[in-house]
Amino acid sequence: MKNNEITDITPKRRLFELNLGDVWKYRDLVMLFVKRDFKNSYKQTVLGPLWIIIKPFLSTFVFTVIFGMIANISTDGMPQFLFFMAGNILWSFFSSCLNGSSSTFIGNARLFGKVYFPRLVMPCANIIYNTIGFLINFVMFFILVLIYMFTGSNVHPNLCALLMPFILLSSALLGTGCGLIVSSVTTKYRDLGVLVSFGVTLWMYITPVVYPVSQVAEPFRPLALLNPVAPLIETFRYGFLGSGTFPWQYLILSFVVTAVVLVFGIIVFNKVEKNFIDTV
Amino acid sequence: MREMNENCVIKIENLSKEYRLGAIGSGTLRHDLQSWYAKKRGKEDPNQRIGAKQYTKGDTFLALDGVNLEVNRGERIGIIGTNGAGKSTLLKVLCRITAPTDGRVRFRGRIASMLEVGTGFHAELTGRENIYLNGAILGMTKEEVTSKIDSIIEFSECEKFIDTPVKRYSSGMFVKLAFAVAAHLDAEIMIMDEVLAVGDMRFQKKCIKKMRDLATEEDRTILYVSHNMNTIRDLCDRCIVLDHGKIVFDGDVEDAIKIYLGSANENFRALEYVGNEHKHHADRNDLCLQFVRYNGKEDSNLSKKSYHCG
Repeated sequence: MKNNEITDITPKRRLFELNLGDVWKYRDLVMLFVKRDFKNSYKQTVLGPLWIIIKPFLSTFVFTVIFGMIANISTDGMPQFLFFMAGNILWSFFSSCLNGSSSTFIGNARLFGKVYFPRLVMPCANIIYNTIGFLINFVMFFILVLIYMFTGSNVHPNLCALLMPFILLSSALLGTGCGLIVSSVTTKYRDLGVLVSFGVTLWMYITPVVYPVSQVAEPFRPLALLNPVAPLIETFRYGFLGSGTFPWQYLILSFVVTAVVLVFGIIVFNKVEKNFIDTV
Repeated sequence: MREMNENCVIKIENLSKEYRLGAIGSGTLRHDLQSWYAKKRGKEDPNQRIGAKQYTKGDTFLALDGVNLEVNRGERIGIIGTNGAGKSTLLKVLCRITAPTDGRVRFRGRIASMLEVGTGFHAELTGRENIYLNGAILGMTKEEVTSKIDSIIEFSECEKFIDTPVKRYSSGMFVKLAFAVAAHLDAEIMIMDEVLAVGDMRFQKKCIKKMRDLATEEDRTILYVSHNMNTIRDLCDRCIVLDHGKIVFDGDVEDAIKIYLGSANENFRALEYVGNEHKHHADRNDLCLQFVRYNGKEDSNLSKKSYHCG
């Protein structure tokens, strides 16, 4: 049982010395944090995890009333509720990945100041926690799609729906990548923490969540799709509802942006991780 | 690694940790950009307070100043020194919570850090769930915890309440449970900062005995920081005195304690009576010493004279 591995502590770490293998060693901890977060979210609630189901319905309902019925935004002929639900669940998944990981350092400063474990464990747990929530929402969404389909609504799922795993992964990693960068910068500049909370809301409005890309004026459409979240949501809706377009060039670009942001985020995070406790 | 012989578990070479004095940045991006832009144009920093001393690169504080130390397997090392001597910084660097500014540390095996009792305990979770969570935070896998959970619960003396959320625990139960987890870690090196002083006297004795047993029977290495000379005497077989970031003594426990207490007494004659009593009232003694040290301003020159006996 004697562990004879030698660990070397030096002032600086090489840029790409990421120690991702360590995160795997701590996989039990990741799952325990996920469990803790679930317990903590629904402690002393009457409905408990039922809230996971209620929340998207409530917010989609509000979206439908405000943006669909009052503002009368076009949904490309799709049933309004489904249209808004698709945008809503994917966006909230993305934004909670971002928000959750953006407070990694500040939110856990006390714990990180007392014990070492790979700090990336926290964002990983956050991804898993949010993915579970999203999958539950997604199943509800899918059931609704089937119901609408068989009651003769204008809903046409197609093969693009098979891209779902990639869309899910890309949303999670893009959100987390941004979150890691924010989290690293906020150890020194708290401004960014304030910016994130409403910045994410603003970001939602430049993303086709409550409107289809087809409603964006023609000359600005490519610009709107350069937003890496936009092609994800557009493809998601195209695949399951058959509305709008399948912007595959932009989707590929979005994957590339995700990869770049994620790698950059991990490198910055890794660099800050070593000494952040002295400045936080 | 070739320079580290088989028996050596921790090798610290020329370790330094530097902190900058004064505020670190201004904390907001706007001010830092302003200051940076002003400096670039060779103008005065607009955010500098008038009359405030400007901190340049030289204005730093060395919490650790060229520490060299080799620890062998199975040693129980006490680390003593006044407040600000660098004890906690040393432990933090060893536990990888913060990186050193200079030097190098190598260690063999796993390090369990107990810088605080109950780190990561979550109020909403039950005692049992917290054992798993805390164990995992300290580096155990789920199977390891499962195989030890009975003895952890038994050690904690909280059998009755183990499935109750820890927010309902008394503070004594809380620390007992937390220490029970820490005491069952598998790590080859255990690093503790004043954590044995938990629970009542009987439980403290039990903790110290447990730690000593781990070191003697399973060849664990222990690094223990404390201001309580009695626990140092009870637990350790080698002792280090730190002062201003340097190791000033390394060796026998009684000698180390004499140096630590002696140096303090030489400076503060007003407290001579304490010196005579310290064998019996080490706890109170320590408190007094710290308190006095706090008021002393020019202690560094004086205390240096009395060292160098090691």
